[in-house]
Amino acid sequence: MIPARPIVFLLRLALGALLIVAGLLKLRDPTAFATEIANYQLLPGGGAVLAAILPAIEVVVGTSLLVLPGAWRRAAAGAALALFVMFTAAVASAYFRRINIDCGCFGTGGGPIGALTLLRNLALIAMAVVVLRFDRASGANAAPRPATPAVSG
Amino acid sequence: MVPLITRALCLLGAGALLGLAVNGVRSDGVRFARFAPPSVCTMTPARGEAPDPAPVEALAPPDAAALCGDPSTLIADVRPAADFAQGHVTGAIHLPCTATGEAASAAVDLVAGRQTLIVYGDGTDDAQRVADELRQRMRRRDLRIAVVSGGFGAWSQAGLACSSGPCLHCAVPPAVSASVTPGPAGTP
Repeated sequence: MIPARPIVFLLRLALGALLIVAGLLKLRDPTAFATEIANYQLLPGGGAVLAAILPAIEVVVGTSLLVLPGAWRRAAAGAALALFVMFTAAVASAYFRRINIDCGCFGTGGGPIGALTLLRNLALIAMAVVVLRFDRASGANAAPRPATPAVSG
Repeated sequence: MVPLITRALCLLGAGALLGLAVNGVRSDGVRFARFAPPSVCTMTPARGEAPDPAPVEALAPPDAAALCGDPSTLIADVRPAADFAQGHVTGAIHLPCTATGEAASAAVDLVAGRQTLIVYGDGTDDAQRVADELRQRMRRRDLRIAVVSGGFGAWSQAGLACSSGPCLHCAVPPAVSASVTPGPAGTP
C-alpha cells in the first residue's frame, strides 16, 4: 500500500521540524548535552565531540528535509533514518541495561528513558522509512510516468 | 543507491563540520580537552519537581562515626572497588557510580527506611560530587545527606572502625558496580 502524497509530505515536514527543534535545543548548552551523552556510558571519551557535532547535523538534515529538492531530500531522509537508528540503539541500550538517566533527546531535562522513549524512537524510524521509500515520486530519481493516452469523445 | 548514500554522507559531514565550527567560535562550547565525564550518572530533575530539600552537609570523621550504630543511618563508599576491598568503613555499601538501574534501585531501597546517608570517598570532593547527585535522585525532605570531611584517609587517621575485603552478602549481583555490605556498624 502506497501512502498518499500529502501524508508523506506531512511526515517529511514533521521529521524536518522535529530534527531542527531537537538540534537547536541541544545547541543551547553543549556541555550539558555532552554530559547527557556520557551518561549513556557507551563512549569511552565521554562524547564531547559528538555533543559538538550532533546538534548541527540534526539542524542540517532537518533543514535539508524541508528545503532541498529531489535526490538530496531523499538523502536527507536516509541521513535522518541513520540518526534515528543510532539514537534508538543508544536508548535501547540504556533501557535494557536499566540505566536510570535522562534521554537527552531534546537537550537537558527531557525526562528519563522509558518504554515510551523507545516506542517514540521506533515510530520516528518508521516515519523516516516511509519518507525515504515513498518521497521519491517528486524527486530526481522519480520513475517516468507512463504516457496517459488521450481520451476523446 | 550509491549516490543516495554519498549524498547522505555529504549532509552528515557538512553538519559535522558546521558543528565543529560553531562549537569552536562559541565561548560556551564543549572544550574537548577539558571536558570530564561525570563521576556518577546525572539525571536532571523533572520539570516542576521540588528543589533540593536540604544541601549536603559536611561531617568530621568522629561526628560521622557517632552515627555508625544508628540503624537509621546508611554509609556509602564512592571509591573504586579495589580501594573498597582493601578497607572501608564498617557497614558501608559500595556505590562508586549508580551504573545500573538494579544497583541504583538497591541503593534507593536501602536508603528508603533511613534518615541519614553518609557518603565518603578518597577525599571530600569526590564524595561531595556523588552526594550532590544522590541528593538530586533522593529528594525526600526527611533524608539528611552528609559527606565525611577528608574522606577515608581522615577516617583511618582518626582510628575509627574499618573493615576489609569485598562484601560477602551483596544485595546486588557482583556483575554490577554497586555492592552492599549489610554487616552491623561498629564492628571491626
